[in-house]
Amino acid sequence: MKKRFSLDASTDTVLGDVQREIDLHLDLRASEFEALGMKPDEARRAALAAFGDRGEVESEVAVVRTKTIRERRRRDWLAELRQDAVIGIRGLMRAPAFTIVALLTLGIGIGANTAIFSVIRSVLLRPLPYTHPEQLVQVWTDHRAKGRPEPEWLTPPDFIEWRDGNRSFSHLAAYQGWGPDITSGGDPEALTGAAVSGTMLAMLDVKPVLGRLLNASDDDPGMEQVVVLSHGLWQRRFGSDSTIIGKPLTLSGTSWTVVGVLPASFRAPMSFAPELYRALRRPVNETCGRGCYILQVIGRLKAGTTLAMAHADLTRIATQQAIDFPATNAKIGVWLVPLHEQLTGKSRSALLALSGAVAFVLLIGCVNLANLLLVRGAARTRELGVRAALGAGRGRMIRQLLTENLILAFLGGVLGIALGFAGSRVMAAMVPESIRLVQDIRMDGQVLLFAAGVTLLGMALFGVLPALQAVRPNLMGALRSGTRQTERRGGALRSGLVVAQLSLAVVLLVGAGLLLRSFVELQRVDLGYRTSGISFAGVGFPRARYADVARVSLALEDLLARLRNTPAIRSVEITDVPPLSGGDQDISVFPLGEAQRADLPPSIWARSVTPGYIRQMGVRLVAGRQLSDEDRRGGVRVALINEEAARRYFPGTSAVGRILATGTDSASPQYTIVGVVASVRHNGPNQPYRVEIFRPIAQTSARGIVLVIESAQSEAATRTALRQVLHDVDPLLPVPELEPIDRRLGEAVALPRLYTMLVAGFAIAALLLAVLGVYGVMAYSVSQRQREIGVRLALGAAPSNILGMVLGHGGRLAALGLGVGLVAALMLGQLIRTMLFGVTVFDAPTFIVVPVILGTMALVASWLPARRAMRVDPLVAIRAD
Amino acid sequence: MAGSDLYTGSLDLIILKSLTFGPMHGYAIGRWIRQTTSEELAVQEGALYPALHRLERKGFLAEEWGMTDTNREAKFYRLTTDGITHLKTELARWHRYARVMTTALSAAPTQG
Repeated sequence: MKKRFSLDASTDTVLGDVQREIDLHLDLRASEFEALGMKPDEARRAALAAFGDRGEVESEVAVVRTKTIRERRRRDWLAELRQDAVIGIRGLMRAPAFTIVALLTLGIGIGANTAIFSVIRSVLLRPLPYTHPEQLVQVWTDHRAKGRPEPEWLTPPDFIEWRDGNRSFSHLAAYQGWGPDITSGGDPEALTGAAVSGTMLAMLDVKPVLGRLLNASDDDPGMEQVVVLSHGLWQRRFGSDSTIIGKPLTLSGTSWTVVGVLPASFRAPMSFAPELYRALRRPVNETCGRGCYILQVIGRLKAGTTLAMAHADLTRIATQQAIDFPATNAKIGVWLVPLHEQLTGKSRSALLALSGAVAFVLLIGCVNLANLLLVRGAARTRELGVRAALGAGRGRMIRQLLTENLILAFLGGVLGIALGFAGSRVMAAMVPESIRLVQDIRMDGQVLLFAAGVTLLGMALFGVLPALQAVRPNLMGALRSGTRQTERRGGALRSGLVVAQLSLAVVLLVGAGLLLRSFVELQRVDLGYRTSGISFAGVGFPRARYADVARVSLALEDLLARLRNTPAIRSVEITDVPPLSGGDQDISVFPLGEAQRADLPPSIWARSVTPGYIRQMGVRLVAGRQLSDEDRRGGVRVALINEEAARRYFPGTSAVGRILATGTDSASPQYTIVGVVASVRHNGPNQPYRVEIFRPIAQTSARGIVLVIESAQSEAATRTALRQVLHDVDPLLPVPELEPIDRRLGEAVALPRLYTMLVAGFAIAALLLAVLGVYGVMAYSVSQRQREIGVRLALGAAPSNILGMVLGHGGRLAALGLGVGLVAALMLGQLIRTMLFGVTVFDAPTFIVVPVILGTMALVASWLPARRAMRVDPLVAIRAD
Repeated sequence: MAGSDLYTGSLDLIILKSLTFGPMHGYAIGRWIRQTTSEELAVQEGALYPALHRLERKGFLAEEWGMTDTNREAKFYRLTTDGITHLKTELARWHRYARVMTTALSAAPTQG
């Protein structure tokens, strides 16, 4: 009869309650007045008058009461939560194996997701560390109309005309690499620097920690030569000298004055990390003309200007240039790329694919947990039945099971975040240098928020379904009949989950297969030159001390002669652009007399080399002769070209003896082709052949050269010998690092290797988890069907029939999972197309091998429980329970 | 409370006191107050109910539905342990307050 305090806070119920209470009061009060001799309606009026304003009282009480109910409900809820937590923790501690497996699955899944997301957050989502980074744009010239698919740099006249003629940019600043050597205050050292427009640092809104930035007047060639130091160089070379402003430095033989030091936090938005900056004076005096693409340009859009508006604006200028200077500027357009996209580059699709893969692993892990929990739930049917009988409500029991899962999720999340922190460091290595120079890969609030979100999602995935399933309405039936009849539906759910798992695993396996095949293809590519046993060392001859190129040639001859006399060195040759360097230079040439031919390549990639370089690198001579020591300065200019160039410039005829000219006037250099060499992949295995020309270094004016050294002794001995020889030739030359070619090659394929390894790792984890899922479901189903199997055996079924029945069940699950997974893989394969090399998304071997592997594993996983089913003793099975 | 000559808190105190005699429903509490104060306190009877529910919210009262002597369903209020403790402190406070006020207000004026 007595009702508990109502937890229903709806306005109707509360008000109804209050009204009943007041009705009773008024009735009783009226009877009291009647007992005093009043008539009923008179008594009623008197009661109402004594009561006061009924409506006001009712609403006042209703407000108070609603608050009361809410407070109590919250308090009860917290008390129950505490109780649930205690029960949950006890339950988890009673099943340590389950708990450990669950925590590891969650921890690794969440950790991997968090680590990948920390990279995505840093690379793709966090704004660049500059004021209004969205206004910054990388400015390129567009040569696609001339058959060059890649964006190209600007020429000094282009830059000046675009800078002075545009209406869309508040700044347009150019930069180029600058490699000075420093010979004052310590050992000579080669530095990485940048020559930038005087306004560039101001455009990026950086505040110097000492002195000043460069400014526009520093671009004036009449001004003093000044440099601004990076924080790193200031600390490293100058011991954080706070009095450095105004001090002179000797850079490449001339004197410079330090005017400023940049903050430690500043990163240049470039593909290299400059240690010091000088003003770029070059475009102003125009020593380099149209057709000389030597500048990279960054601009800041005026507020409110869109990329499209800026593009139209610059295109207007470029169109006029094409009219005014058709020989150099025809068919050259404008190509603008937001700076963020420029620096993020091609990592976007790879990162997104990886995050997809790692999300799949977590998903599969969660499904496994869901299955484990379903099995646990089934095992606890009796316990829950008892609790239901003792009066626990369905909602209450669901909440208790959810709390237990929440505890798991929480602990798994903590573990995952810890692993994520560690993983984040590893992941940072896969980010391309260009973005790592600008953005740190680090955890921040958003990454933690993401981890928490993933944890909750995981918990929802693996926790809710089993909790609902465990607390079905017919628990009372479960109490009576044990676990037998309630099995069917749970079995179907579990089978569905296993199919989902298998499908996800198939997608990952296909992805991993495609990447693995790509990687193998990449490794199998014959670069065309030797890839071991040689090392590179860069040497630069500064203009100040080597004004005349003839002096450079003499120094080079001296250097080579001395190195060749060193026992530690077997052979040494010179090139100005080593293979796999990324850096390149190109010149425009045409077969003599055919300047207007339409099918000519836009330019040819040029190297200056010593005559022995081709032979040393193992590049095959196809026709004609090698370069020789007789090809000297002042003699006939000669060159080798590769087969690709011979085919493009001299189709159908022999190139040997022909002439490639760089201009129509007689002053332009002309090269007589003396030989043709095999085409090689100088820029890495995934790059196509390009047209190339090799000129004797004795006939060119290369100042920065690279020694190609084949050691006869240890690397250390070679380094010592090199240091000694360089010192003897010129004590002011910095001693370079020795860089083995295999390390360069390793770096060229490092990124694909890392992606492949990661995805393969994820795929293996997914496969194992999915196969465990199959095993779990089959084993459980067999143990639940013992009685049925016993009856079948007793009725004369052969054990092999039982084996077939169980294997058939597993086979159906595997087939279904494979089918769904392969279709999904075909659709999702498009996402990793850019990461593939030498295989298509429809790679037949991958699509054959994956089903075989998965099918075999699934059969093994079913076979173990099937064997157990075969050995069921009919008598024991039927009598059991 | 409008239309009442009760000092703040005194209605709460009377309600708590009334329930020391055992659980009662709202009307019975009101009747007890009227009788023990000889109907000298001009209180709107309706004011009792918000007071009851506020006390319940503070945890000093608990409610239960039950039957009256005339077999009607009614909400019965009873003191909780917290309510009893609160009543004790409030009574002590009230007595001290009444004593101080009485002394102060009955002092003879000093001639100036």
